Amino acid sequence: MITISHCEISRGVTILSKELIGKSAEELAGLLEKRDVSSLELTRAVLDHAEALNPTINAYLSITREAAEKAAAKADAEIASGGYRGMYHGIPMGIKDNLYFQNEVTTMASKIHQHFVPDYDATIIAKLREAGAVFTGKLNMHEYAWGITNNNPHYGACRNPWNPDKIPGGSSGGSGAAVAADMCVASLGTDTAGSIRIPSSACGIVGLKPTHGRVSKYGCFPLSWSLDHIGPMTKTVKDAAGLLEIIAGYDPNDPTSVNAPVATYTAELTGDVSKLVIGVNEDYFFKQVDTEVERLVRKAIQALADQGARVEAVEIPALAYAEYAEMITILSEAATIHHRNLLKRPDDFGSDIRLLFELGELPSAVEYLQAQQLRRQIKRDFRKAFEKVNVIIAPTLPIIAPNIGEAFADLNGEQVDLINQIIRFTGPSNLTGLPALTVPCGLKNGMPVGLQIIGPALQEGLVLNVGYAVEQTNPLQGKKPELVRV
Amino acid sequence: MALKLFILDSLETKGVRVPKEHLDELEMRWQGIVSLKQETEAALLDDHDIALRNIPGGDHLE
Repeated sequence: MITISHCEISRGVTILSKELIGKSAEELAGLLEKRDVSSLELTRAVLDHAEALNPTINAYLSITREAAEKAAAKADAEIASGGYRGMYHGIPMGIKDNLYFQNEVTTMASKIHQHFVPDYDATIIAKLREAGAVFTGKLNMHEYAWGITNNNPHYGACRNPWNPDKIPGGSSGGSGAAVAADMCVASLGTDTAGSIRIPSSACGIVGLKPTHGRVSKYGCFPLSWSLDHIGPMTKTVKDAAGLLEIIAGYDPNDPTSVNAPVATYTAELTGDVSKLVIGVNEDYFFKQVDTEVERLVRKAIQALADQGARVEAVEIPALAYAEYAEMITILSEAATIHHRNLLKRPDDFGSDIRLLFELGELPSAVEYLQAQQLRRQIKRDFRKAFEKVNVIIAPTLPIIAPNIGEAFADLNGEQVDLINQIIRFTGPSNLTGLPALTVPCGLKNGMPVGLQIIGPALQEGLVLNVGYAVEQTNPLQGKKPELVRV
Repeated sequence: MALKLFILDSLETKGVRVPKEHLDELEMRWQGIVSLKQETEAALLDDHDIALRNIPGGDHLE
């Protein structure tokens, strides 16, 4: 096991700083702009709390206190001299460790890349630096992002703040756990089959997978080129909207980047859903779902209907091919990326992802290309559905987070394969590239449940606004994980 | 057993060294994929159903 250096905890976290670190980026932005709170004070409170909790949660692979304090002091000086840059200026953010920072070790939570030092910043890191964000450290993740448990063989399992015996979900488990536990104010995740939305749902936070190409992937270590996305993982929908405003935009360095105007997403958050038609697909998204998860999602849909939204059933027949297309595509593309290391140093991979790379060597080129043909049919069926409805709402996950180390999950009393089940509802939006947002919609046995809002291409403002309307119903009733309660 | 041999042979031909303890799970997971594939046999794939693109001159149409 590779160990990380933990700073000595020399002072307890005060009630006041706990209140501070529990706030959203939007709330903190107001305090920072008015200089009621300094970024240095906030950053130190977040770092103290993160260092205190990390031995329990293991959300961080490394905490970079010195650099964070320096960046926070710089932000304070800029704000004091009238140079306030916006919502994320001076906000402490932890970053998933597959996004490149110039001249800093970026490990992909792997053994093979444990000493890898990129010579450039990822485009989104450069954008966040420009926005004045403060980076608190690198966050744990499933090795090479190829998995959904974040049970990392090299750096240890990341744990769910709502119950440390449970997985936080993955692959962006460190991001989900850190945001939920106030170990940073906001974060980024990467999502290839659900890796933003799975941990966001499991940890009770907001996670947005934007439209494919909306956010540059230049400087993000790939898992599966045609399925990969980067997006916000935050405490609130407004925080996600504000973060998307910063990181979205065309980048010629990313071959998949889309040249489309970026909206002011925060301005689209009215919470008004009265003119919207919400699509519900029973055949795929409400089959084989935990009974309580289903009840909570339907309750949230009803709450939107009570606000004037119309709910309509939609057919998406090609979803019947989604699981096959997703598996063939992700397995093949990931195995291609890691092919050489699978031949040369297979023992340096964790056993779970080594097996997936082996499996990815099996599909033929014909099978891969047929999967891409099926993918086009799925896209076409979604497009047809969006001629009838504005958004589609579904459970994010069919189950709640299982215990760490379990390969199977309980689904209404039946033991089901964890990886296949947990990506079943998230994978289709990776195949289609459509934007999908998860927001909390309740708790089952003290564990968060999320619902997913899928929208037409490039309409992130729409899905965020529907998520905002759900959020306004206060489905978690202000509850937070026990270990971070004030 | 035949499927397991197919998997082992396919991988070893490509130079992939497969731990013996992986074989059962590889067989189970590949069998699952084969089952999913059978469900796609009904798909009416058109010749123009392509999700791969050749963008002239580079990565983006400017």
